[in-house]
Amino acid sequence: MALEVSIRDIARPNDDPLVSLSMRDLIDLPGLDEEPPLEPTPKKFIDKYEMSLDGHCCIGIPKPKSKEEEDFLVRRFLSGLEKLFNSEDSWTFKQALRLSFDYCVKCQTCNEACHAYLASGRKEIYRPTYRSEILRRIWKKYFTPEGKLLGKFVGADVDVNWRTVTRLAELGHRCTLCRRCAQRCPMGVDNALIARELRKLFSQELGIAPIEILEKGCVQHLRVGSSTGMSPSGFKEAVEFLEEDIGDRIGKKIKIPVDKKGAEILLIHNAGEFLSWPENPEAFAILFEAAGISWTLASEAVGYDAVNYGLWNDDVELARVAVRHVKIAKSLGCRKIVVGECGHATKALVVIADRVLAGELSSSEVERECCLPLLWEIIRSGAIKFDPSKNNFPVTLHDPCNMVRAMGVVKPQRLALKAIAPQFREMAPNGVYNYCCGGGSGYAIIQSFNFPQWRNKIGARMKMRQTLEAFKNELDPVKYPFKYLCAPCSNCKGTIRDAITHYGLWDKFRINYGGLVELMVNAMVDIDRPFIEYEDFH
Amino acid sequence: MGSFAAYLAWLAVAVFVFMVIYRFIKFNSMPLHLRWELYPLPLEPKHHHGGSYMEEVDYVRKPRHHIRINGILDMASEVFLLKKVKEYNKYGMWPFSFCMHWGIYLMCFWAVLLVVEEVFNWGAISPLSNVVGAVAIIAGAFGSLGLILKRVGIAELAAYTAPVDYFNLFFLLAIFATGIIAWVTDPYFFDDARAYVAGAVTLQPVTVPFWVALQFLIFELFLLYMPFSKLFHYVAKYFTIDKVLWDDILNVKGSAVDKKITSQLSYKLTWAGPHIVPGKTWVEEVEIVDAREGK
Ligand code: SF4
Ligand code: SF4
Repeated sequence: MALEVSIRDIARPNDDPLVSLSMRDLIDLPGLDEEPPLEPTPKKFIDKYEMSLDGHCCIGIPKPKSKEEEDFLVRRFLSGLEKLFNSEDSWTFKQALRLSFDYCVKCQTCNEACHAYLASGRKEIYRPTYRSEILRRIWKKYFTPEGKLLGKFVGADVDVNWRTVTRLAELGHRCTLCRRCAQRCPMGVDNALIARELRKLFSQELGIAPIEILEKGCVQHLRVGSSTGMSPSGFKEAVEFLEEDIGDRIGKKIKIPVDKKGAEILLIHNAGEFLSWPENPEAFAILFEAAGISWTLASEAVGYDAVNYGLWNDDVELARVAVRHVKIAKSLGCRKIVVGECGHATKALVVIADRVLAGELSSSEVERECCLPLLWEIIRSGAIKFDPSKNNFPVTLHDPCNMVRAMGVVKPQRLALKAIAPQFREMAPNGVYNYCCGGGSGYAIIQSFNFPQWRNKIGARMKMRQTLEAFKNELDPVKYPFKYLCAPCSNCKGTIRDAITHYGLWDKFRINYGGLVELMVNAMVDIDRPFIEYEDFH
Repeated sequence: MGSFAAYLAWLAVAVFVFMVIYRFIKFNSMPLHLRWELYPLPLEPKHHHGGSYMEEVDYVRKPRHHIRINGILDMASEVFLLKKVKEYNKYGMWPFSFCMHWGIYLMCFWAVLLVVEEVFNWGAISPLSNVVGAVAIIAGAFGSLGLILKRVGIAELAAYTAPVDYFNLFFLLAIFATGIIAWVTDPYFFDDARAYVAGAVTLQPVTVPFWVALQFLIFELFLLYMPFSKLFHYVAKYFTIDKVLWDDILNVKGSAVDKKITSQLSYKLTWAGPHIVPGKTWVEEVEIVDAREGK
């Protein structure tokens, strides 16, 4: 039986999407009778933008208006592809990419690991190997002697026209870079890395990326101080708000340290927390204060926003942001940086950027850590008294891919939950074998065009299924009026919030979500009122 | 053909060894990449739950070590048992892939045994080498033929298989199938194979039946071809896994990693994106706040 779409179809010269998504094909969500339908692609988008991958888009590349514009896209794409294998331009991932490019044996063992591929009903274009194979074949055709000499025989058979280029730009954004596929590859081939490097090609060579990631993300982060657009003075106002809100919530005054010279820990939050979930940085402040930790926030531009969107598509921006973070910690005299509940920011600063931070900036000079071990340490040390019965409702845990599969931080959050949440239960699968929330690699923040529909229906679908399964015995909202999906990551929370709203899981089942620190503060003996607002979904 | 094949045997082994070393060095001399490890990491003492040293507060100050034996066992279970293919491949490729791989391993082992027999005059191991040779060609033929049929018959596999991939499989099948034909047609197959290898080792080729000579000729050509093809993945795999997925070395000031990274940060960029200033080094580039405004 022929497949719905072939590898060479990427160059198909028309507006027809390569695949059409259908509700019938999507995986079931147990316990959910109804869900919003898939909306067709708005005509206004089709006329103007590249939508011919799957009828969705997150970048919005305008269709070229002239032959020159078409040629420009093709030329730049090819020059970018070449640079990915240039030692100076792309030392950052050259070896890893080279190996993943050359040694895939096309056994397709990796595919069944992919939440997007599975959730879509196994749509060909979401297969982890689909984009990799296209890119590999283009590379062979344009850049290798065997491809030029032997052509189709060695698989050098994908044409590059402007459709190939624009579809590939979108296709690079149908993978959440969760790397579950790489875990299963017998060769050690990493399709997520290939997707990531494809995005890098577009970002670094053409300046093409979803607006939320590059333009309003990295560029704004460096220029204004935060990807949220928050300036240093805006940050100071946000801190004042947090202090007032803490007072309202727990009836105690807490002074949040900002730019405290010589503090042991510089804590950096995803700045989105200040705006969307202020209770999260508030909970950190309450916990750190009660545990007697020497800590501070930084008010210098970039220093109060842990996000590093370069992780997903741009090594240069990744390096710029990471270097700023460490330099700010150094200037404050902090011994270490702890990144708040944000998975990608943690991985970017603690792991990936480790090798752009040399000499005076290296880890031995300024230590960098994930917050989860410290949170468990606070519980384990007995510095604060917790009463788990205050969290006596069903709790399950989402493992952020970046902290768990990519960093091996698996146990601390579990030990913490076991200590403070008597009804904690695991999702299946979990830990390093978890499924992505569906918002990885920047999807959580992309609201452009009709991409939120793709994220909710395909990206987050598997996570919603796992959530419903974890609470399957307690779905009844009357008997069980509060359930908590703990997701200690800002981006995961963003995706989960949108998906819970999309599927109506709060209204129907009373499934809420939040971080780990909120549960910890909720269980503190010294605080006489609930920190978590049981009637509130936001 | 006999003397040609005898010389070719030496050439094939020499090229094979040279290319393995050459390509190993080439892979090894590529720039050090950013960390991109993946958990569970078998070398990690906490690998049983997928954990890492980053689960500890103040991990930078604590000693850390790798359990090399766990890495070796993990790698061995992939190489010899094809564990992940067995567990996760939904197209039922494992039995064939397993047999094909063992066909190759045993074919090489058989050749080594025959050389050892000749060089050390160890006739005593002849029964062993005969069994190894027999199992090699049966397993190899079964495996490679099965994989060809799978790839042709299953649309999802066929779509990703280029003609060169079939060529590789047919190449392997040719080694094993000619071996089977030689065995069936020659009642003294194993002795003739022994005589052939002895002739090749001493460069005094003897005449052996056509199919025996053909099988070894194809095997020699295969040894010549393998390091230039994707089948070289047995060496590449060491790098994909050990040097990328298992590389969790923390950068400490003054360390070897630090020195290498420092030198790589002086490389110049030529990327053309509007937020990048081409022609600057990585160190210079990170200082730029907004290339669009020339700052
Ligand atoms: S990436 Fe790995 S698992 Fe997937 S097809 Fe290639 S070799 Fe097989
Ligand atoms: S990284 Fe995750 S989303 Fe991307 S292809 Fe692999 S399994 Fe799928």
